[in-house]
Amino acid sequence: MSEPGSTTAPLLEVAGVRRRYFAQGGFLSAPKPVDAVVDVSFHVARGETLGVVGESGCGKSTTGRLALGLEQPDGGTVRFDGAALPPAGTAAWRAIRARMQLVFQDPLAALDRRLPVAAQIRESLDVHAIGDGASREARVAELLSAVGLTSDHAGRYPHELSGGQRQRVVIARALATGPELLVCDEPVAALDVSIQAQVVNLLMDIQANLGLAMIFISHDLKVVRQISHRVVVMYLGTVVEEADADRIFSAPQHPYTRALVASSPSPRRKSRPALMIAGEPPDPSARPSGCAFHPRCPGAQALCRTQAPMPRLVGQGHRVACHLVEPWNDAGAAA
Amino acid sequence: MSKPLFELSHLSVAFSGRTVVHDVSLVLGRGEALGVVGESGCGKSVTFLASLGLLPAKARAAGLARLDGDDILNVPAAKLESIRGRRVAMIFQDPSSSLNPVLRIGHQIGEALGLHRGLTGAAARAEARRLLDDVGIPDAANRLNAYPHELSGGQNQRVMIAMALAGEPDMLIADEPTTALDATVQAQILGLIDAIRRDRGMALVLISHDLGAIASVCERVAVMYAGAIVEASGIDAIFDRPQHPYTRGLLAALPELDGPRRRLTPIPGSVPEPWNLPAGCAFAPRCDVASALCRQQRPALSLIGPLDGLVACHHPSDVMDCAERIVA
Repeated sequence: MSEPGSTTAPLLEVAGVRRRYFAQGGFLSAPKPVDAVVDVSFHVARGETLGVVGESGCGKSTTGRLALGLEQPDGGTVRFDGAALPPAGTAAWRAIRARMQLVFQDPLAALDRRLPVAAQIRESLDVHAIGDGASREARVAELLSAVGLTSDHAGRYPHELSGGQRQRVVIARALATGPELLVCDEPVAALDVSIQAQVVNLLMDIQANLGLAMIFISHDLKVVRQISHRVVVMYLGTVVEEADADRIFSAPQHPYTRALVASSPSPRRKSRPALMIAGEPPDPSARPSGCAFHPRCPGAQALCRTQAPMPRLVGQGHRVACHLVEPWNDAGAAA
Repeated sequence: MSKPLFELSHLSVAFSGRTVVHDVSLVLGRGEALGVVGESGCGKSVTFLASLGLLPAKARAAGLARLDGDDILNVPAAKLESIRGRRVAMIFQDPSSSLNPVLRIGHQIGEALGLHRGLTGAAARAEARRLLDDVGIPDAANRLNAYPHELSGGQNQRVMIAMALAGEPDMLIADEPTTALDATVQAQILGLIDAIRRDRGMALVLISHDLGAIASVCERVAVMYAGAIVEASGIDAIFDRPQHPYTRGLLAALPELDGPRRRLTPIPGSVPEPWNLPAGCAFAPRCDVASALCRQQRPALSLIGPLDGLVACHHPSDVMDCAERIVA
C-alpha cells in the first residue's frame, strides 16, 4: 500500500464540527434535540484513505455529509483544499462538489430506474459541463472499463444488473467528474462476501491509480482495516480514537475500540464470543454526561462521569479520548 | 451418535415449479450446534422454513424431514402445530417485525407459555419473568409491561429468544439472529445463544452469512451454494482445510482484523439465478479448478477421506494435493 503524502497541507480539514437535529417527539410534545455530531475533528491528505467506524447512531454518516457540505455544521469548520466550504447551493459550492463525490450503501436507490446506466454516468458530465458530446461518450466508455464493466453493460437498466455491478456503476458515476475526494458510506454493506471483495479491491485500485483521497465509512472493522491508511473510531458523535489502520486494531487503547475489536468474530480466531462490554449504544438524544461511553465502560471512574475527555496523543499519530490512558510523553513507551 | 434429533433427507423445495433447494441431507444430534453458511439466495433459510412447514402454499417440498425419527414434512397442520414452538423454535433477523407492536412483552411471552405449556395467570407471569431474567433483560418484572417499541433492537431479540424458550424446545433454529444488530450487541446475543444452548442441552441451527459468527458458536458447519450443500465438516476442519473451492473462495474473500494485509481474492462472477443453473456443478463457471467433468455432471456430497467431512466436488483440495504429490 502506497504511503500518502504527509508533507503537504491536507486536502480536507474538519475542525470541531457539531450538528444537532430535532427529532419529532410524540403527540403534543416539543421536538427533541438530537446531537448527531458533537465535536469531530480530522483531516484527510491527498491520496489517503481515512476509515470511519462506529455503530449505528454514532454520527458517522452525518460526518460524511458535513465533510461534503451536504449539511451545514452548527459549529466548527470544514476546509477543502485550503479554503472554507462555500454555502450549499451556491455556484462556488457546485464547482467544488465536482471535486468531491459520494457513494452510498444502496446502489438501487442511488440510480434512476428508468435510465440506462451509461446515460446516468453521462449525466454528471453534462451537469458539470465537462467536455463536448463526443468526448463525453468516450469518457463514459473509459469510466465503465475503469470499474470493470463492458460496453455490453452500458445500455442496461439498473434492474438488469447485479448488486455488485450496480455499485460499480455508482462508483463510475462518482468518478466521472474526476474528483479529488470520494466519500463512501457503507458501500459494500449490502453485498455478499464474494462480491464485497470485488468492490473493495476496485476501490483500492481506483484510490491508488487516481491518487484520490477517500473517506470510507463502515460498521465493518475488517473491511475498514483492509482499505484504510488511517482510521477514526466514533462513539455518540465524537471521535474516541484515531490511529494508523494496523495499529488501531492490533493495539486499541480506548475501551470502546477494544470492545469493538473483541466483538468482531473471525473464522480464524476460534474463540467463544467475548462479552467485553454490557449494554447498547444509547439514544443520541439521551447523551450521558462526561465521557459518553462511561455507562458501558468497565473502567469508568468518577471523573469520567463529569468531564468529557479531550483527545490525547498516546503514540505517533495515535490519539485517544479517554481519561484512563496515559499520554505518550508521560508513559514514554506507548508503542 | 445415537438416533439423530433432526434429520433432513433428500429435501428439495420448489417455488412455482422452480427448484431452489436441491437434495439437501443433514443430521443434527441432541445438543449439537450446526452452522449453515452461504450467500443470499443460496437456500439456507428456505431449507429450514420448508422443514417446519413455514413456506407459502406455492412452495412444494419433497423428501424427508424427521424429528426424533418422525416425519414432520408430510403431516397434517394440526400435528405440525404441536411441534413448532414446542419442540422446535425459530427466531429471525428482525425481532421488531416478529413481535406484536400493540401487545405488552409479558402478554406475548404469556401467550407462548399458555399455548405450549398450558400456563396461565400468575404462573405464566412468574415463568415469563424468569425467562426474561434468563435472557439477560434487567429489571424483568417491570419489563413485562413494556411494549416492543420501548425496547432496543438487542433487547427485542432477547425477548424473541425468551419466547422461543417458552416451549422448552429441543432445538432452536436461529436465522441471521444478529445481522441487524450493532457489533457489540451482536457479540452479546451470540454469547447468550451459546450459553443457553449449553445450559439446556438444546440443539442449535445458526443460519448466517457470517463465517465469524458461526465459528464462535457452532461445532459443525454446512456450506450452501445455489440451493445445495457443497461442504459439511467440523468447525476446525472447514476453516483450516476447506475442501470445496467455494468454501476456499469465501475464506479468501474475507478481510482479516489482524496479521498482514493481503489483497482480497474475490470469487469471480456472481451467484446463478435459481432458474438459470448451469449444467453439472453449479459452481463450475466461477471455479478455478473446474474441468470438463464438472460442466457435465453434478458432484454428489460424499465423504472426504479421514477428515470425517462431506464435500460435493469432483476436485476437492486434498485429492488435488495428493495428485500434485504423485506428479512431483
